[in-house]
Amino acid sequence: MAACIQRLDRAIFSIRLLRNVQLHNERSLSTSLHRLALDTEQPSKFTPPVKPVIIDKTQSVASLRKFLSPEFVPPRQRTKPIKFTIERKDMIRRRKVLNIPEFYVGSILAVTMTDPHATGKNNRFVGICIQRGGRGLGATFVLRNIIDNQGVEICYEMYSPRVQQIEVLKLEKRLDDNLMYLRDALPEFCTVDTDMKPQPSSPTGEVPVNKTRVRMLPKPWSKRWERPKYDVKGIRFDLCLSPEQMEHAQKWAQPWVEYDMLKEYDTSKLEEAIYTELQQEAAAATAK
Amino acid sequence: MRLTLQSLISHGRVARRIGLGPESRINILRNILTGLVRHERIETTTGRADEVRFYAEKLIDYAKKGDTDEKAMKMASFWLTEKDLVPKLFKVLAPRFETQSKDYTRMARLPARMNLDRAKMAVLEYKGNPYPPLSPIRKENELTLINQLLKAYREERSQLFAAKA
Repeated sequence: MAACIQRLDRAIFSIRLLRNVQLHNERSLSTSLHRLALDTEQPSKFTPPVKPVIIDKTQSVASLRKFLSPEFVPPRQRTKPIKFTIERKDMIRRRKVLNIPEFYVGSILAVTMTDPHATGKNNRFVGICIQRGGRGLGATFVLRNIIDNQGVEICYEMYSPRVQQIEVLKLEKRLDDNLMYLRDALPEFCTVDTDMKPQPSSPTGEVPVNKTRVRMLPKPWSKRWERPKYDVKGIRFDLCLSPEQMEHAQKWAQPWVEYDMLKEYDTSKLEEAIYTELQQEAAAATAK
Repeated sequence: MRLTLQSLISHGRVARRIGLGPESRINILRNILTGLVRHERIETTTGRADEVRFYAEKLIDYAKKGDTDEKAMKMASFWLTEKDLVPKLFKVLAPRFETQSKDYTRMARLPARMNLDRAKMAVLEYKGNPYPPLSPIRKENELTLINQLLKAYREERSQLFAAKA
């Protein structure tokens, strides 16, 4: 879905470029237009030429990164599958209006949302995504940033009609799926520049993994992150805890859970089916 | 203890409460599963047999992946406490159920255990085991009136078809 939208964006951009290129080539047309412009308006400021975007036509759809947003995968429940199919239809309808890009926990996002009390009716928040929760239309993501020495976390519902734009400023992954431990980390690891420019990312290949290991504030923490149930890989425990404390934390380890076949939920076939369904929907939409 | 409805509603939890806790439950089920793989037919309480049934079938699914698969070998060595049963699982039980995709076990109820605690008992077995069947094979009695009439009808029909052809 994201891949198709990206292709569409690139196609539109390339069409716009071609139009510009045509005008510059037809010299007579361009000079006459220029003269007309000079007669009627003030001498325009020097606008540098548009940087050409090299569109690699050798790259096919197959090489684009396959990404299925986690909120499409239904949880293991006793509900009838028709509920999920109806919900997916609504999610696709919303996605046709609002572009929800591909992002992971650890990416830096900027979200503009309608706000009746803000000047200009919109407010924009930039932050690092620390958690992606919920399934279906209630899917949420939490953005964290530190503004004026105050940590701020906002939980956005992806499919809320108040959300105007979701922009990915930096696309990357981290060592964990849940970065709630950033609440107990030093502030420098959560501050994101509000005026950050979007960094370009390639639609093919692996998403870069940011292997930073975070330094923590002194204990007590909001949760005991050293315990094996959280399975946190992105904290520098060697700087804040002694080996005895780490060993003591291992007392809460449950080694049998890894072998408990009842807890396994294999979503690969479901994901394949949902991905093909979304691709078909996108193809049908672009065909129209 | 509060006699609320919440203590009766499981809220989606599918694991039965066996033994002293989650670790104890896994250990008990592991012992029963090891016994099942060794003897291919065992007697336990109904609840435990029902829980082990799920794990027994999943273990066969893992064994079907082959003993070269790392995850399958780890699972087998965890669940079978007697390590001489690991080759039996991969070489005897997995090929036996190659054609089937599910339902490798059969559970039948037994009379309650009267000597100890009157617990409901069940027998759990892998299909295709060498013992005589749990439920006796019912043979139709050919000498009943209806069976005799049906036999005559079938013979007449086959004679008619033979005459036509």
